[in-house]
Amino acid sequence: MISSTQTARAQWYPIAASADLVPRHVFDGMLLGQELAVWRADDGFANIWENRCLHRGVRLTIGLNQGSELQCQYHGWRYANRTASCSYIPAHPANAPSRTVCNKTYPVVEKYGLVWSLLDQGPTFPEVAALEGSDCTPIRAIPINAPSEFVLTDLSNEVLNISDLGMFTVQVSWDETVVMTTDTGLTMVFFAQPVDAARTIIRGVSTAPINGTVLRQLNHALNRLRRRIEEDAKNIPQIDPIEPIHSSVRAELGTMPDQLETGEASLRVVVKEKIIIAEDVAQFSLTPLVGQLPTAQAGAHIDVHLPNGLTRQYSVTNGPGESDIYTIGVKKESQSKGGSETLHNTVQVGDLLSVSPPRNNFPLRRDATKSIFVAGGIGITPLLSMAKTLHSQSLAFELHYFVRSEDHVAFRTQLDALGASVILQIGLSPNETSGQLGAIYSKPDSTHHTYICGPGPMLDAARAAAADAGWNEANVHFEYFKNTNKIDDSSSFEISLARSAKTLRVEAGKTVLEVLRENGVNLMSSCGQGACGTCKVAVIEGEVDHQDVHLSASEKSQNSHMMTCVSRAKSKRLILDI
Amino acid sequence: MIELYDFELSGNCYKLRLLMTILGIEYTPKMIDFFPGNEHQTDEFLEINPLGQLPVLCDGEVTLRDAQAILTYLATKYDESGQWYPVTDPARLGLVNQWLAFADMITSTASAARLHDGLFYHWIDINKARAGAHRLFQVLDEHLWHAEQDGELWILPGNNPTLADLACFPYTMLASEGGVPLTDYPAIRRWTDRFKRVPGFIPMPGIFPAGTA
Repeated sequence: MISSTQTARAQWYPIAASADLVPRHVFDGMLLGQELAVWRADDGFANIWENRCLHRGVRLTIGLNQGSELQCQYHGWRYANRTASCSYIPAHPANAPSRTVCNKTYPVVEKYGLVWSLLDQGPTFPEVAALEGSDCTPIRAIPINAPSEFVLTDLSNEVLNISDLGMFTVQVSWDETVVMTTDTGLTMVFFAQPVDAARTIIRGVSTAPINGTVLRQLNHALNRLRRRIEEDAKNIPQIDPIEPIHSSVRAELGTMPDQLETGEASLRVVVKEKIIIAEDVAQFSLTPLVGQLPTAQAGAHIDVHLPNGLTRQYSVTNGPGESDIYTIGVKKESQSKGGSETLHNTVQVGDLLSVSPPRNNFPLRRDATKSIFVAGGIGITPLLSMAKTLHSQSLAFELHYFVRSEDHVAFRTQLDALGASVILQIGLSPNETSGQLGAIYSKPDSTHHTYICGPGPMLDAARAAAADAGWNEANVHFEYFKNTNKIDDSSSFEISLARSAKTLRVEAGKTVLEVLRENGVNLMSSCGQGACGTCKVAVIEGEVDHQDVHLSASEKSQNSHMMTCVSRAKSKRLILDI
Repeated sequence: MIELYDFELSGNCYKLRLLMTILGIEYTPKMIDFFPGNEHQTDEFLEINPLGQLPVLCDGEVTLRDAQAILTYLATKYDESGQWYPVTDPARLGLVNQWLAFADMITSTASAARLHDGLFYHWIDINKARAGAHRLFQVLDEHLWHAEQDGELWILPGNNPTLADLACFPYTMLASEGGVPLTDYPAIRRWTDRFKRVPGFIPMPGIFPAGTA
């Protein structure tokens, strides 16, 4: 039994009819003892997942299909369409879930009106010659309490007599498939889905559409067969159910802190589309060369490695459900050091680029009663993905988009889709901007959160306006494009790594990050200038000389974390939690 | 004011809470501690319902027992649209009554299995109860699958749910608590999703709200 189950796990079986997967529904499926949560996202994709939330093991079939995410009924963990990676944990609204929190997915093929899958690695999907090119119409699936071999044998010996269609006789039969044809030329192909050791579902597909009366007659005929098979099956010895295999938690989750993953550009993407969407702003759509892209959470960015050797960070503008593509917006900087200029002038549709998996250092909470987004220019990109996320869940937000002129408004169509929550602030002087920001932040509320992204001076003004109005610093989230502070790297000090049991010396002119890497500690980093927050580590002891623009003033004064790419020590020694 | 002798975990009491909420009928719940308090077997309650069963509903002079009977009373008296219990349409009325009897069969099988598994009713023949529930669900799934093929959403043809849907819904939805999973009945599972989206729908322990459609 075990060996045959193993063979069967590497074989394609139908597990549902395509029509079973109606919108915003989770289908309860089973194949070879393995429970499956099957759901169709709003983009039409059929997800086949292990029926188990990674958190407390609750069945996802009692969860909610929210269109682009599946939400567990128990604690509301949300998993993204296609990748099944966790996109939000309500109990930790301020934190971005790790990308390694990812449910088990199974391959899916939709063909002949049926949804097919297999549990282990196996061959590519085999065609069913009898159904190729025909107008496939699945009939009602019939569950039978008997082993599949038993069902197939009986089905092969069956002559279905349907009054409106005549006699069905078995034409060919082979492993796991029974083909029957009437004298009028209609063909029915029957597949046996091994639900468990002693449970089977017969899924029949007709080669032409059939009406309701005939569907009922076929159903009656198969019910007669079902009753007979179940009667016969009472005489065979009882078989134990197949033991399901639960995918185990990945080992690295238990050992390495997330930030010690190497941050190399592991994804190869093709430029599918490059369009100018506003004055000096180009939109790039990047699709994977092979496989599937990891889900980009709202606020996440990717490192883009350019042909000229430079690396630049760009926010992914994707909303929930846009998971087979990364869309970024790139502003051509007048003082470009070769990053935006290369993307604008050199990179073309069809080019291959290396990008890092998305990292989220600007996570979006979904528990605010209202979120206020303040975007300046190209700072719209992370906030667009956030606004799309809240919009999809009908959560309240305002998106204030400050731009120089109408021609500078990027992502116009996507913003239009967000309706009246988007407020354009066009062509304001610095004074007028300050006035508007004062109005936007005039009513501080502990249940409101604000997210700001834009050029340095505008971001500073927005933070100041919020602070003046009495906003709590913990409710003000921001992301700078770059760090314009002059970095003072003249100090020299010692760092002690608590977990790695190493003590290292950081001399003047070298960063903490460089010293760590020279000594084999592969800390992730991204922007290298203290803006993005990727290289953040926890500080156990010592006084940090903060030089970044990622942490807020109160976070800096807490002295609990530092950006290793620019920040240093005021004390002689720092003890770091790595 | 209507009074409902009620128990939170009872699917039969839930049927009445559900209909009264959907119809906007105000009522006062009188909580009876069915488990573990066994209050439905006290002398006091047996004088209200000698069968010692929940729910019981008092509306002025009228005192009624049996969930299905109470549903027909409430719908006839308070549902001005007549959609839930179509008393003026003999054919539809007959069909609704047929499915109300079916709902009672679900109670005596799927609900019995749940009492065995969840509330320690050890004397119930669990295998018989589960097998009986599966027989009913095969019939219901088949009925709903063919209805879907005809473009219908509810147990009876037409644009609106009736007491047939409302009465069959609770113990079908709770069946997995008695070891009767609905895996083999995809059409039933889609229908329960649809019913959860009826305006005025309320959940109960073990029955969760649906997401947005």
